[in-house]
Amino acid sequence: MASLSDRTPCGYHIGMLLFLLALAFNAALAQVNTLPTDPGSLEAGRQIYMGSCSGCHGATGEGSQGPSLLSGRVSRLPSATLLESLKNGLPGTSMPGFPLPDDKIREIAAFVRSLTAPAISARPSGDSARGRAIFFGEGKCSTCHMILNRGGYPGPDLSNIGAERTLRQLSESIAKPSARIEAGFQGVTAVLKDGRTVEGVARNYNNYSAQIVDQAGRIHLLDRGKIAKLEFKEGSIMPAVSNPDRIEHLVAFLAGQSTRPYEGSSR
Amino acid sequence: MKRVFILLIPLLVRAQVSQERIAKSPNADWLTYNGDYAATRHSPLSQITPANVKSLVAKWVFRVDGAKKLEASPIVHDGLMYVTNTNEMYALDVRSGRKAWHYRAAGAKGTRVNRGSAILNDKVYFATADCHLIALNRLTGNLVFDVEYASADAGYGTSIAPLAIRNGILVGVAGGGSGQRGFVAAIHPDSGKEIWRFWTVPAKGEPGSETWGNFPAEMGGAPTWTTGSYDPELNTIYWPTGNPWPDFYGGRRPGDNLYSDCVVALDANTGKLKWHFQFTPHDVWDWDANESLVLLDGPFRGRQRKLLVQANRNGFYYVLDRVTGEFLHAVPFVKKLDWTSGIDDKGRPKVIPAKIPTPAGTKVCPSVRGASNWMSPSFNPSTGLFYVVTLEQCDIIVASAKEPVPASGFRGTGNEGIPAEPGRFYLRALDVFNGKLKWEHPMPGPGIMWAGTVSTAGGVLFSGDDDGNLVALDAATGKDLWHFSMGRSLFASPVTYMVDGKQYVSIAAESDVFTFGLFE
Repeated sequence: MASLSDRTPCGYHIGMLLFLLALAFNAALAQVNTLPTDPGSLEAGRQIYMGSCSGCHGATGEGSQGPSLLSGRVSRLPSATLLESLKNGLPGTSMPGFPLPDDKIREIAAFVRSLTAPAISARPSGDSARGRAIFFGEGKCSTCHMILNRGGYPGPDLSNIGAERTLRQLSESIAKPSARIEAGFQGVTAVLKDGRTVEGVARNYNNYSAQIVDQAGRIHLLDRGKIAKLEFKEGSIMPAVSNPDRIEHLVAFLAGQSTRPYEGSSR
Repeated sequence: MKRVFILLIPLLVRAQVSQERIAKSPNADWLTYNGDYAATRHSPLSQITPANVKSLVAKWVFRVDGAKKLEASPIVHDGLMYVTNTNEMYALDVRSGRKAWHYRAAGAKGTRVNRGSAILNDKVYFATADCHLIALNRLTGNLVFDVEYASADAGYGTSIAPLAIRNGILVGVAGGGSGQRGFVAAIHPDSGKEIWRFWTVPAKGEPGSETWGNFPAEMGGAPTWTTGSYDPELNTIYWPTGNPWPDFYGGRRPGDNLYSDCVVALDANTGKLKWHFQFTPHDVWDWDANESLVLLDGPFRGRQRKLLVQANRNGFYYVLDRVTGEFLHAVPFVKKLDWTSGIDDKGRPKVIPAKIPTPAGTKVCPSVRGASNWMSPSFNPSTGLFYVVTLEQCDIIVASAKEPVPASGFRGTGNEGIPAEPGRFYLRALDVFNGKLKWEHPMPGPGIMWAGTVSTAGGVLFSGDDDGNLVALDAATGKDLWHFSMGRSLFASPVTYMVDGKQYVSIAAESDVFTFGLFE
């Protein structure tokens, strides 16, 4: 027999129904906005992208007639906004909508997202163990770079590089180091007025001072008034790697360098 | 072409920072949050004096991108200044104010403020808001280790400036307002491995657990969110602890609630408790004892003693023997104090029952912010004066017996200001041995400051005030000598140091670090 406390007013049932409906709606919305991460979907998305998007946005999202898809502005877009832009276009711009089924739209979005995804979240094709051996061994990368206090100076610390760069960026940095020089790591030689010389990377400088780290990991805090000449190296002081296999393995090793576990995108 | 690397002796940052070197700080350097292990924040530098302080001018300003409320005391060593903000550290060239390097702990959770860093040997250390201790090469900012010492998922967070001693980097946690179990931990300076941990709430069956009734230790609070002090000779760490949780309702935690609102004296090698002293047993007013613990030696009632003094949030200035923990003396340092009829000869307050918060609200003085708080005091051995920022204010505190849920925002309910009785800050100079007021400097303003002080052998005392001024006062008399309006509020304490034979004073102000030196 039901007790008095089991008797609930109608309003309770209606409220509970609305609550359950809201839960179901949110779950459905999350499902719709979730982007696939499996290699098959990414490849399918890449193929549609190459046929329909690369003409304006470039083969790797670098932009041409259309804007780059690699910028923070685009990479930070919520998935729902990205999907909406692909499906219906952006009014007032030359970005058209694509009349494709929703699953195809999600595949394109997943590929676009992968262009800016941190390497730690990706599946590189190289062998990480071989990359490690190259990095600390024959490749001599650790002569100038460190990972968790192992290695040398004056190159950028790579302890968290897998969380900070995409696979493509890692690959480009290794193959074409002069294409983009990290701020604070331009090679420099300072000739002082007293005849002494400091060689390293300029972590910072302006008309009044320079802060230079040398290959021994020492920092030189210099007054520009005491510097006769500050000569910056053209391009990167890092030698390029040309062997595609080496690049692939190094990318795989560096992609795994993250100070914290990868917790996925919150977008 | 053969590469040439040549030492530039005067311009090259080189010297290692041993514990022995830290023990001599402050001198030209400022090597801990408080400048010295004893937390006196007294510098031997004497270039800036009452006679020339009027010629102080701004030398440089460094903006910390995105910072809103810098609370750190910078560390300065060999031409580099280390400044922390939430989850990040900057090394600045102190001659120019230019960035030498920057490290951001990518992926760190939490947005708590950060109060500073520690330095030892070739590394600098800071804690992220989610309780990771980060060790960096002090010259390059390269990461040495990143270790989690408490779980953000379990509700832990921190704002602490770590303290470096020979065999450990000491860290603590927040949690007095959210129901975590406080602790002090020593982490190995090179490996990042935890060496020992002292829980500030004893587990069931341990000594002190009987002071909690059946309240779960895991929810007890007693956080350790400010930097402790260290006596190398006694090899003893003195760490202040915060309030028990829930802050304002004590019905579920009958007893004194050890080791909340205490100073705990710990063996530096093992973390074992040597002694404790509790300032506010069974706290229901949120009066953390996290104010600086200042160590000094001197005559007390005719006998030379090793002392520990603190201006506590509960309104009393305390003098303890730091070898034994013996209570020696307590005296009010604010006028607005009504929760007790006095302190007995063991140091225990005689609480007035009508001042225990109720659901209807209870007016209590001092306020929840306290008669003082984490704004740094200082002590000048030449004047014998203890300088402390004080707040004359009362609050209405409302208690609730609601079932406490950790990390829910529930604190046993809360406090309200009294609009007709706005608080007023005063910088006060107390006789360090008996706490008697020698002079005071009113600090009118909106009542939001957290700035503290730095004392100098030149006879000038620097402090932030409640109206956003860095002020310089005559240490002996309190005479107002100089001020500079920062154009923003101050939530940090100044530091002083010397570079190339010139004394400077720096202070963080909201988003920027300002540095002053004598006009030349």
